[in-house]
Amino acid sequence: MLLEIKDLTKQFGGLTAVNRFDMYIDEGEIVGLIGPNGAGKSTIYNLVTGIYAPNRGRVIFNGKDITRMKPHRVAALGIGRTFQLNPLFPDFTVLQNVSASFHLHPHSNLFDIYFNTPTYRRNEAIIQQRSLEILQLVGLEKVKDDLAKNLPHGYQKMLGVARSLATQPKLLLLDEPLGGMNPAEIDFSLNSIKKMRQQGITIMIVEHNMRILDLCDRVVVINFGQKICEGLSEEVRENKEVISAYFGG
Amino acid sequence: MKRNGINRWAKPAAITGLIIILAILPLLLSSPYLLHILILTFVYVVGAMSFRTITISGQFPLAHAAFMGIGAYTAAMASRYLDWPPWITIPAGALTAGIIGIGFGYPFARLRTLYYAMGSLFFGVAITYIVQSLKVTGGYVGLTKVQPLFSTVSRVPYYYFFLGLALVCAVALYRFEFSRIGTNLKAIAQSHLLASSVGINEVRYRVLVVAVGCFFVGLVGAAFAHYTPIVTPSTFNLSATLWLAMYVMIGGMNSFAGPIIGTPILYFIPQYYFSDLRAYSPFIPAVILIIIAYLMPRGLAGLISILKSRYLDKFWGGIKAKEAADAVRN
Repeated sequence: MLLEIKDLTKQFGGLTAVNRFDMYIDEGEIVGLIGPNGAGKSTIYNLVTGIYAPNRGRVIFNGKDITRMKPHRVAALGIGRTFQLNPLFPDFTVLQNVSASFHLHPHSNLFDIYFNTPTYRRNEAIIQQRSLEILQLVGLEKVKDDLAKNLPHGYQKMLGVARSLATQPKLLLLDEPLGGMNPAEIDFSLNSIKKMRQQGITIMIVEHNMRILDLCDRVVVINFGQKICEGLSEEVRENKEVISAYFGG
Repeated sequence: MKRNGINRWAKPAAITGLIIILAILPLLLSSPYLLHILILTFVYVVGAMSFRTITISGQFPLAHAAFMGIGAYTAAMASRYLDWPPWITIPAGALTAGIIGIGFGYPFARLRTLYYAMGSLFFGVAITYIVQSLKVTGGYVGLTKVQPLFSTVSRVPYYYFFLGLALVCAVALYRFEFSRIGTNLKAIAQSHLLASSVGINEVRYRVLVVAVGCFFVGLVGAAFAHYTPIVTPSTFNLSATLWLAMYVMIGGMNSFAGPIIGTPILYFIPQYYFSDLRAYSPFIPAVILIIIAYLMPRGLAGLISILKSRYLDKFWGGIKAKEAADAVRN
């Protein structure tokens, strides 16, 4: 098991956003986390990555308890993520967005950075090189010198994913990677996600768009902070509770 | 990013020209008052530059002049009571300001935007009150009889000393900002959640930048203590901080040149040419700030790049915009 979430609970005042939630992810899987708006999907991401501290429960990553760990330490252990809103650094160029995300590997210490030592220069050259490779992977190398905030919406989403790849994650948490994309962009994104899996990255996806189900090995459905069903994509599609959560009735 | 033809030469040429002019200025002018105002301008340029360095991390440090005071008082007291020579007291003042900056930066690293600004404002006010009420700091009156840096009455050696100090600080702060450290700080300012999701330790970097900013303002404050005949608390109070903020904002917060342009315009020119008007001083920058917010939202330094892009870059800009549009379309 790469990630294990046990009995996770988060309350905001009187509201229980996530209630006794359990799930696991095995290495190499693509797992979907779906549910209506406000079901608690993004809260789960924020609990796993340390932005929120849970009221109860544990998060175990790669055999290590990461509950209440600070976000930058979670990132250093190998959990990358994208954000649904604010997916990128708006005032950086596309290339800077990716190269700024190469904070962890290769890492230069403050002394090397400030005194511009050969180690630092070598690291920066590697970073520039790898940033361009990542931009080629997601097809953004043509706009690498544009400010990120000036990109069209679909490109911004893809840049968000490209940026998170720079942390070289073992587990990547994607937050609505297809939101607001047109069909062509969706095809392209699904393809990029497949490519990432081939590179050995385990992926968890929060998404509304049901086309994501084709990609997932397993799907977890939540509503009102609770898991209502879990299974293979086909099973979930047929599940009555899922249908009622999405369409009412 | 690639720079086009004229940019590559314009900046180094302007900087070299400015340094040459400043270096030969004392040979052309002999007015001690003018030299005095120029020396203070150098002091405030360093104050404003280090202020701006902290703002690139998204923190607005409204205790900044108080840290200049910490440097100045440390140096003044070490010189007066312990008889330490200036070459020890000045680094000691800078280090003290930097270390207190770490102690101040750590708890404040949890605050953001307006809350940070207000919190730091009260911290600065508290420091002023402490200095005013202690006997060892000379209370309201301040400290006199600090050993002067040079044993002449002439201001020329001081002029070169502070010019050199300002240049050293400018280079040090420039290297700090335009390295990966500066990139990380700017990333934190744009989105702290995103920055920490790529492994940047937000608290560590925010404390680091405060310590660096306080170190440099403490350094110039400590040097100032060996120049001025008297170190008083009012030199480093809240209104002094707000003046530093004005120099930065009017010069342009998003540009390294901002405080270097803003300080002479807001301090040197009014002080030297319109010293009578300085009684109305709180109104003048307010009016200038409103005009600048309307006409040049990126400050005076921004104005230069706007004019440049309007006239000089028209040709290159047009080509680049077309390429970008094509790239998006494809």
